[in-house]
Amino acid sequence: MIAVDDISTILSSGIRLTIPLAFAACGEYLAERAGAMNISVEAMMLGAAFGSVATASATGSATTGLVAGVLIGLLIGFVHGNLSHRLEINTFVIGLVLNALVLGLTSYLITVSSFESHQVSQVSIPWLRDIPLIGHPLFVERWPVYLLIVLVPLTWWLVERSRWGLELRAVGEQPQAADVTGIRVNLRRRQALLWCGALAGLGGAYLAVGEVGSFNQNMTAGRGYIVIAAVIFGAWRLRRTLIGCALFGLADAMRLALPALGLTMNSQLLVVAPYLLALLAMLFFANQNREPRALGQPFERGST
Amino acid sequence: MTEDERARELTPPSAPALRLRGISKSYGPVVACDAVDLAVHQGEIHGLLGENGAGKSTLMKILLGLVQRDAGTILHHDGPVDIGSPQEAVALGIGMVHQHFSLINPLTVWENVILGDTGKIDKGAACDQVRDVSQRYGLPIDPLAKVERLSAGERQRVELIKCLRRDPSVLILDEPTSVLTQAESAELFGVLRHVVRSENRAVILISHKLAEITAATDRVTVLRKGKVVFQSATAETGPQELARQMVGREVSLGSEAAALGLLPVEPPRTGESGTGKVETSVAALRLRGLTVTVDGVRVLSDLDLDVAPGEIVGLYGVEGNGQSNLGDVLSGLVLPDSGSVEISGRPVDLNRPGALHAAGLGIVPEDRHASGVVLDMSVAENLVMKSLNAVSGRAFVSRRKTHEVARRLAAEFNIVTPSMDTPVRSLSGGNQQRVVLARELSAGPLVLVAAQPTHGLDVGAIEDMYRRLRDVASGGVAVLLISTELEEVMALSSRIAVISSGRITGVLSTGEATAERLGMLVGGVAA
Repeated sequence: MIAVDDISTILSSGIRLTIPLAFAACGEYLAERAGAMNISVEAMMLGAAFGSVATASATGSATTGLVAGVLIGLLIGFVHGNLSHRLEINTFVIGLVLNALVLGLTSYLITVSSFESHQVSQVSIPWLRDIPLIGHPLFVERWPVYLLIVLVPLTWWLVERSRWGLELRAVGEQPQAADVTGIRVNLRRRQALLWCGALAGLGGAYLAVGEVGSFNQNMTAGRGYIVIAAVIFGAWRLRRTLIGCALFGLADAMRLALPALGLTMNSQLLVVAPYLLALLAMLFFANQNREPRALGQPFERGST
Repeated sequence: MTEDERARELTPPSAPALRLRGISKSYGPVVACDAVDLAVHQGEIHGLLGENGAGKSTLMKILLGLVQRDAGTILHHDGPVDIGSPQEAVALGIGMVHQHFSLINPLTVWENVILGDTGKIDKGAACDQVRDVSQRYGLPIDPLAKVERLSAGERQRVELIKCLRRDPSVLILDEPTSVLTQAESAELFGVLRHVVRSENRAVILISHKLAEITAATDRVTVLRKGKVVFQSATAETGPQELARQMVGREVSLGSEAAALGLLPVEPPRTGESGTGKVETSVAALRLRGLTVTVDGVRVLSDLDLDVAPGEIVGLYGVEGNGQSNLGDVLSGLVLPDSGSVEISGRPVDLNRPGALHAAGLGIVPEDRHASGVVLDMSVAENLVMKSLNAVSGRAFVSRRKTHEVARRLAAEFNIVTPSMDTPVRSLSGGNQQRVVLARELSAGPLVLVAAQPTHGLDVGAIEDMYRRLRDVASGGVAVLLISTELEEVMALSSRIAVISSGRITGVLSTGEATAERLGMLVGGVAA
């Protein structure tokens, strides 16, 4: 009853909805491994989405917009990092404040300005795009998607194989021990937040100048929180985190596709679906004791 | 050691590896180090002796760049140096084996060993280096093992390997034997002797145990209240002198030996009801088949233990063998997987919060700051916390009654405090511990569990605690003393149960307990 074409459409929209999550999740994953619980990933994505559209409109280049999105993510990561891992202000409070601030600010700015629509170009890969069912969803994409092919392994390598990553993991598990070993705990956490900011910014910018081509109010609609849920779902392992992103992306795609397929459901209920899924996933997968032991705990030399 | 060797050590060679001049450090009004002078020479083990809070740890933190000094100079091979960070300390060749907090448990041995280095990671080379160092010093370890799976002794080896791989000229060890069995301690001191004699390094051994200092060091410095009060070649002094310097008054080694970390000459009798009555009377505290799993690791397995009214049973073992988990179970903090706790023959429903307290079990918990007292609440509030019904009406807590009770308990237990409204945080460790003890005993318990009751206390406070525990037992309360200090257990208990890897490996009466037999049991070998 559901045609192959429909499946292909749902798959393609699922993948497109997964991409922004995957970028941000690579960042959030690395930050959390360093013990930095980064709630402000939502602010990073939303701020970057706005910034990319505004910059693209001003310069006429969607690619410049993408770069601007990364810079805004970095800026928010820098602010968050310095407030919580230099001045030792509660990281959750800062995250929530930043999220509210960026939401309010972008909502205001979008009402007082108008932007031209720009979108990054599409790349379709010959031969591969002709594979039935998955060909079109996987191999006809906006070009930034293919950055993931580099960024995912790079993130993994940084965390699991590089010295920087070894130190990040040490800092996320036992910061006191890392400190006496000579690792600058809060510096590593600030650096991790910068990485997270850059990637979450890329995710948000991709959503705006990649997928949609414009900015609308609260366009990330809690995707930052979904990313945090994906990292928990993934039990702080990168592969499972990305599977989590795909799951949430597909759920989102189903929401959009079901009415088109003739299945009528209350639309408000459908909007809730991915979040409900996130909640359920956390319920079943959260308690695995894989969490970095110092996640969300501030570090101050000399305490304990 | 021959006479020649000893003579050579007594005339220290040329320039000291490390010299401290007038090092001072204050935390607000508290002076931790007061113009400390110290010279550590190559080729010798320098003992740093002092009570808790004497300033030993602060001094070492200054050497490691973890704390910045207020005044004074540090000379390294006669050149003044500034140690602003742990990295700079490493660069100067100062390495430390920490008492706690230095290995990252989820990482492997080789990852831990190279942590803090710079440059590209080379796993193969790192593993080879670990094997190399471990062979050279006779410290067998698998470089690929995860630290969380290692025993305390093995972790200590990793710490040593991590330090020695960096070829330090000065090696600092902070209370290194607190988590080790006697055999492991012997191994450690063997390695230390080797690095000092054959490799001409300088070692600083920090301890509050007299026996350890007199046995293992060449020179000794005693710190008291942040000041250097005594320095000597170890051979020219003795336990009596060192004890006097450390405490600051004449002490009789007979009665206070345990508090100073020396085995008592003869184990004192504790109370009238000793081992003989245990079989006949109903046990006040009966533990059966207690099994606890934490993070997938079985920390207590099928643990049985009885304590009769009026006796003190010492649960002795090296730190990390399940005794703190037992403390958690008896505090009601952890629910065991299986097993039962009976108090005077009645099983206690561990699912119900407060059931143990209601059944008549009082506890002096191991970590008094985390679960013994509420630091920012007043002395009075802490004292009545577990018996609020007695000081409140229908809805409100009576301030008058609270203070009445608190004043009575403070007088009875010699709690020194400016007022009943003073926050417990500003009391000394000994007085905080008295607050806990007073509160627990005021409920009239049948059983008192004292977990590491003298940790972090000074000698006076330790003696006081010992006296009170003996009094409690002779009043008919069953006392379970959980301790990692052999001397403490020997001095107080009538029976000693040894715990190793979460099991009781043997129960001895104090009379038949010798250091050797206990040592074997601690190592998990039935004696």
